[in-house]
Amino acid sequence: MEFSDLIRTGRAQAKLLRGPEAPPLRGTLCLTGHHLLLSPGPQATSELWLLLLRSVDSIEKRVASDSGTITLRCKDLRVLQLEIEGVEASLDIARSIEALSSLESVITSFPFFYRPKGLRLGDAWHFHPPERYYKRVARETNAWRLSEVNEDFSVCPSYPRAVIVPRSVDDGALARSARFRQGGRFPVLSYHHAPSGTVLVRSSQPLTGPQKRRCAEDEELLRAVLAGARPGARGFIVDTRSSQAAKQARMTGGGTEAKTAYPGWKRLHRPLERGQPLQESFVRLVEACGDPQQSTDSWLRRLEGCCWLAHVKEALSTACLAAQGMEREGACILVHGAEGTDSTLLVTSLAQLILDPLSRTMAGFQELVEREWIQAGHPFQLRCAHSAFSHARPKHEAPTFLLFLDCVWQLGRQFPLSLEFGEGLLLALFEHAYASPFGTFLCNSEKERCLCEVRTRTHSLWSGLNQPKEQRKLRNPLYAPNPLAIWPSVELQSLRLWQGLFLRWIRPPEPSEVAWEKVWQIVTDKEKTKLSQPTVSASEPQL
Amino acid sequence: MSRDAHPPTDARRRAAGGGQGRRGRRGRALEGAERGPGAKQPGNGGGARSPRVSRMASAPTSKYNSHSLENESIKRTSRDGVNRDLSETVPRLPGETRITDKEVIYICPFNGPIKGRVYITNYRLYLRSLETDSALILDVPLGVISRIEKMGGATSRGENSYGLDITCKDMRNLRFALKQEGHSRRDMFDILTRYAFPLAHSLPIFAFLNEEKFNVDGWTVYNPVEEYRRQGLPNHHWRITFINKCYELCDTYPALLVVPYRASDDDLRRVATFRSRNRIPVLSWIHPENKTVIVRCSQPLVGMSGKRNKDDEKYLDVIRETNRQISKLTIYDARPNVNAVANKATGGGYESDDAYHNAELFFLDIHNIHVMRESLKKVKDIVYPNVEESHWLSSLESTHWLEHIKLVLTGAIQVADKVSSGKSSVLVHCSDGWDRTAQLTSLAMLMLDSFYRSIEGFEILVQKEWISFGHKFASRIGHGDKNHADADRSPIFLQFIDCVWQMSKQFPTAFEFNERFLITILDHLYSCRFGTFLYNCESARERQKVTERTVSLWSLINSNKDKFKNPFYTKEINRVLYPVASMRHLELWVNYYIRWNPRIKQQQPNPVEQRYVELLALRDEYIQRLEELQLAGSAKLAEPSTSPAGPSPMMPHVHTHF
Repeated sequence: MEFSDLIRTGRAQAKLLRGPEAPPLRGTLCLTGHHLLLSPGPQATSELWLLLLRSVDSIEKRVASDSGTITLRCKDLRVLQLEIEGVEASLDIARSIEALSSLESVITSFPFFYRPKGLRLGDAWHFHPPERYYKRVARETNAWRLSEVNEDFSVCPSYPRAVIVPRSVDDGALARSARFRQGGRFPVLSYHHAPSGTVLVRSSQPLTGPQKRRCAEDEELLRAVLAGARPGARGFIVDTRSSQAAKQARMTGGGTEAKTAYPGWKRLHRPLERGQPLQESFVRLVEACGDPQQSTDSWLRRLEGCCWLAHVKEALSTACLAAQGMEREGACILVHGAEGTDSTLLVTSLAQLILDPLSRTMAGFQELVEREWIQAGHPFQLRCAHSAFSHARPKHEAPTFLLFLDCVWQLGRQFPLSLEFGEGLLLALFEHAYASPFGTFLCNSEKERCLCEVRTRTHSLWSGLNQPKEQRKLRNPLYAPNPLAIWPSVELQSLRLWQGLFLRWIRPPEPSEVAWEKVWQIVTDKEKTKLSQPTVSASEPQL
Repeated sequence: MSRDAHPPTDARRRAAGGGQGRRGRRGRALEGAERGPGAKQPGNGGGARSPRVSRMASAPTSKYNSHSLENESIKRTSRDGVNRDLSETVPRLPGETRITDKEVIYICPFNGPIKGRVYITNYRLYLRSLETDSALILDVPLGVISRIEKMGGATSRGENSYGLDITCKDMRNLRFALKQEGHSRRDMFDILTRYAFPLAHSLPIFAFLNEEKFNVDGWTVYNPVEEYRRQGLPNHHWRITFINKCYELCDTYPALLVVPYRASDDDLRRVATFRSRNRIPVLSWIHPENKTVIVRCSQPLVGMSGKRNKDDEKYLDVIRETNRQISKLTIYDARPNVNAVANKATGGGYESDDAYHNAELFFLDIHNIHVMRESLKKVKDIVYPNVEESHWLSSLESTHWLEHIKLVLTGAIQVADKVSSGKSSVLVHCSDGWDRTAQLTSLAMLMLDSFYRSIEGFEILVQKEWISFGHKFASRIGHGDKNHADADRSPIFLQFIDCVWQMSKQFPTAFEFNERFLITILDHLYSCRFGTFLYNCESARERQKVTERTVSLWSLINSNKDKFKNPFYTKEINRVLYPVASMRHLELWVNYYIRWNPRIKQQQPNPVEQRYVELLALRDEYIQRLEELQLAGSAKLAEPSTSPAGPSPMMPHVHTHF
């Protein structure tokens, strides 16, 4: 199939409205396989305007006698309006955008064509392989090994090739444990907390089913987890479903760990919202934020009705629970829900941010996202197929990753010095997770990425972001390394709506950017005074 | 709330986390006493869910201190915490005398009962824990107390049911339990009543006994002639009049007024008869370029019969004509329309179209002092002692506090916009012109004139629009007065400061002062340590010789300005600030309204400020070094790096990757 087949009209005269603040643009609209361009004409001073078609979430078209208006709602929550001359042309363009923005084929997507100057293919892809994190763990403890049991993705299709497992458990046992876990996601190491000698482990639910099946190898694996931790360590299983939901899961072959089968482990249920209800919460919130006739006196009630902040609170407090278990009580923690690819990752990644100072650095956070979300098999392609504007009934969409970013933002707000990165990085990750010229967030798992040769044929977002010119808007100028755990206040009174994201396109250009710039200036000045005595950046993670 | 619900584990946990690293460690030593039990423990909300938590309930110290007023000595005390010698451990201001001390049980709403010794002076109530595992300190100026009640009787059963319940004006209550035998509480009740409510006992307010000395005299901050001169007054159209020198024209106005050049003193006297409490329209602020003005006054005395007054009508027209370009004078009546109509019944009213041809009247729908008082009461209900958990946002909404803030800000934005556009001069009034009017004029001036956004400028603004123009601080706050239910009390000034805080959140670089400055002002609004907010009007202050006999709050602040500075501040001339007054962009001022609750306490602002200050110091050092280099003749290095590319707006990625 050729893109040109889908392009009914390639060009038209149009006016673009970009919201109340930006002035409208006039010019020639061009449609290519991946982009919508507006060329302002030779005499105009403004630059070429460009939109990745993949970032269009929904299209609305209206026609008048001799023109048409297309409203494009983007996945980054922007709303754009195109006024196009000619009814036919506008309808054709709308249909073309519709077709091109919803192409499902991965290998014809833009990242496979994107060849920016200054970047080399293959750069930074091996920046954060599991081997790299294992080296760090191996320096801290001898109880874990790197297993390549999943080398060909046959044991668990959503795991990476290499995973970190207890040294005393052999690959055969792992494979059998995998058969006892949904999707083959047997318990693997997520994080080793060296100060307390405890570990964070994640998996999917055990397939106990109505007959309460057991699996000796799975039990052995969890026993080995405790045996490898500090002497006398107990374990907590944080199930991200309610105990009722966990029980019900048995009817469909799932379930949860039976007390008697896993001595030393105690189960805690911390239900987190997921899937469709979470997506609906996101949609309602975006709707409320974008409502032009905001009935002002019910805004707070409406915000509460969206439940988004309640989800943020639950996610953060569950992560605190897991982190507290390790740091304060010296216990090992296993986190899982059902599939172990959504709220499980939310909890494990947040718990690491709370405990691990390295994960709060620029490189460390990128490594965390790569390791705990991308390689851990969060199905980005399914979850982020649509953002909050799609009219289609959500199937697999859920803003779990966005919820994670929001929680990180809340942490950054409460600990303004402790994160090396700023809001800019979180906004960039949100945008790129939903639509990106880079390959990093493509596909649902390492296996799919291998099949599509994503690594060799697309550029990594990390190499894009780590270019010097991007740094100023991504980093936190006030960062000062903090060796301690950061315990957030999870009360609703301490949480805020993330205005920088949800009201980003509604509020006038933010003066906070001015403040940001000022701090940068001060910091840059400081660095200049230090030029004579170059020091190693404290932010380099010692992995 | 029992102690078990917040095991000390949390305190340590929070303390460790709240500290922001190395700085935090140092901070912990100095400020450990300020840190509370921290975040609600996520696992023990449901008690049984996290089995380990209760076991650890015997872990060490929960340090927590409820004071917030500036007082260095307190920090010193809480650091060692062992020295029980009264003279050394209880902070005392010059002029402060000790009255009594007593052993009590402080019923902390967050940590349960704590045995302590309470020291009462003529200025404060100071409590220190006697328990070895708690370093709790309370330091409460008696001026903050609004009501003292006895709880329980001689026959009351149950632990800690007999004692005192003290309601404070700053969003908290203090409860003390005492021993039942021997009327032990009568003493404490009598002494507290006496010194917290000196007016009822013919005692002086503490400000008159305070002998503190500062190296700056805050009373010299505001000089009306200088302030009007700064605004370019007098000019061809506006003159300064001393007609109110002895407060004969209007006893609640300042001595010095700015009025239209073309209005004679006789005109003013005749206008005064038609304005409630003789508060005639006078100039508050003039636009430096377009010469439109903000004028303030009280409501006209129209009454049921619809009276008119030719002098008043003419006077308003004269005001309009001070700027030839404008055809209409805009009148903003701060009240809701219905209230303005209702005021006719008591002789008041508003300017009708018939009588004032060249004026346009708009109502701003801001409610009266009683509505504001009730609204704040509801806020307290949902934040103290326990924060409303289940429906926080809708509970907050039902207090309407933020909605009132929104209306006040919206009104001020309209005033500022009219004046800044040069389309019209603006006259602002409500009923008496000392509550809502002061809010609107001062906020509009803050938006229009960057001078008022500096520390001294803000002090001048408060001194001018609030203190000198007769906002009834004594009645609204009830300094030293025992009538806690007085209908005249209302948090109008607090609401104004809240609006300022909202603006400072939206424009983080526009204000020279920080949050601590605003909280300090509010603390001393009640404390009675300074004379600044005492009495209802200038004439009363003059009779009491307040400036001679008391210390100004601005002395405290201006002698230690660095503490109150916003390191982001960028001085800008002529920038008009229009805050977004939509509910989405307003938030509850958690650091003020919920500051007593240690669980809500957010990241300490101190490390952040500390870091800013460090950065600023480094920058200064850099600039200084640069100057030295310049002096040395190194021309190449002389370009200061003050021109980085403008703030890069966060454009969507595709724009930059073509």
